[in-house]
Amino acid sequence: MAAMLEIRGLGKRFPARAGREPPPWIIQDMTFSVGAGELLTIVGPSGAGKSTLLNIIAQIDTASEGEIVFDGVLTVSPGQKSLRPGLDRRIGYVTQDDNLLPWRTTIDNVLFPLEVQGGIDDAARARAAELIQAVGLVGFERYYPHELSGGMRKRAALIRTLVYDPPVILMDEPFAAVDAQTRTQLQEDLLRLWSLKRKTIVFVTHDITEAIALGDRALVLSRRPARIAGEHAIPIPRPRNIKDIFTLPGFAAIHQRIRADVQ
Amino acid sequence: MSSAEFAADLPEGRAVSRKIIIVGGRIALALALLLAWEWGARAFGPLFFAPPLETALRIVEMAGNGKLLTDIAATMRVSTIGFAIGCLAGVGLPFLLRLSPRATEAIEPFILASQGIPKYALTPWLILWFGIGDAPKAIVVTLFVFYIVFITVSAGMRNTDQRLINMARILGAPEHIIARKVIWVSLLPFFFTGLKVALPRAVSAAIVGEFLVATEGVGFSIERARQLSDTTGVFAGIVVAVALVLIINGIVNGLERRALKWRPVERDMQL
Repeated sequence: MAAMLEIRGLGKRFPARAGREPPPWIIQDMTFSVGAGELLTIVGPSGAGKSTLLNIIAQIDTASEGEIVFDGVLTVSPGQKSLRPGLDRRIGYVTQDDNLLPWRTTIDNVLFPLEVQGGIDDAARARAAELIQAVGLVGFERYYPHELSGGMRKRAALIRTLVYDPPVILMDEPFAAVDAQTRTQLQEDLLRLWSLKRKTIVFVTHDITEAIALGDRALVLSRRPARIAGEHAIPIPRPRNIKDIFTLPGFAAIHQRIRADVQ
Repeated sequence: MSSAEFAADLPEGRAVSRKIIIVGGRIALALALLLAWEWGARAFGPLFFAPPLETALRIVEMAGNGKLLTDIAATMRVSTIGFAIGCLAGVGLPFLLRLSPRATEAIEPFILASQGIPKYALTPWLILWFGIGDAPKAIVVTLFVFYIVFITVSAGMRNTDQRLINMARILGAPEHIIARKVIWVSLLPFFFTGLKVALPRAVSAAIVGEFLVATEGVGFSIERARQLSDTTGVFAGIVVAVALVLIINGIVNGLERRALKWRPVERDMQL
């Protein structure tokens, strides 16, 4: 599998402050790659620097050390002068908070990326309608975010990224704040959408079961400073039945191995 | 039970009776104020307190001979010109400063310090420069409006959720679109708060300006009545000024409701 994203020797520390020198490393010496069309999950304890890692890949934060190669081209390097958030729409980012614009209805939020990228045509509207259909938001197009449930907002945020079709999507615990049943539903939606159009996905979570249920491969991060503590291929064949993921052969063994790596 | 809980517990059907209570309360308060006014007139005599009825008759008379309309037109002309310029600058400058945090840091203390200049005291000097036309008054109005709008819009801009801005950048939005579609919309509640303070100020600044130099306008009429010891004329002018501010506020509230109709809470709580 050709590497879509290569992270090489990445390190991050925040700027020094008086009386707190030297600043601690958040991420240190991190190297991994993500294949084209791969769904990589990254598991780590809270506060391990998972969000910081994704922020650096999405280029809304700088790296202190190391480089990132995107599709064969060096995009993040130590001497970098300016950031390119989203790398010209080639990296989508579904954040932990849905970050929907509160004054826009569902449909206007979903169309927002297309609107700011030079206008909405009939094809764009058709695509948005198709995605709204795919995640079961039909009938809620004219609702404002505060009128939607948490799960619906997550779906809207997800399809807002899918609508402009970035080849790589970063997801930062997108389903952490919803109840277990809704989460299973969202995970199934995600896998269905992913099976239709194989994106490269980096999915960060603190939930080992979620990492196994979704991923082709799971990386385990250590506590601060975040390093890679383990790497596990997930041997469970697709399509997977998420609701009964526990009962599938191989689940217990892989769960145990990942557990052992997560401190 | 606190009053907030009480309001939240009201069933749908009683919202109407709540409205009636509020409107009724307002009418009762207005009547009480009128009565106090009438009592003041009787207690202190018409030189110190013009009676309400006489004041009302004077306004009707002014409306009849066209004086009311020319006064309002003159005052509104000055306030509108000053307001438009002050408002444009007050909104535009924070957006310009956003482009350079260093320039902001350098300039902001000067802007805030210049607030200390007593604006009405500038009028004689402005007359020296610009003559006795609308310009000196409009400039004073501009100064009042500018600071209020500048400060509220700047506060709103700082209050914009950085995560929404990052999200828009990742989605590929250029900075000028982020300014218009994320930051501007997000600071609208602050902007409207600024407007509600700035608009009445604009009208009063125009009126005070007219005390000093004018040949027509609400302020001119008040000042001339004062010179003639015509208390009724002074009161009539004040009532007209208050009415103007009320009408303008009503318009701003309407605009605000339209612009912020997406917001969850819709209660009769606007100022």
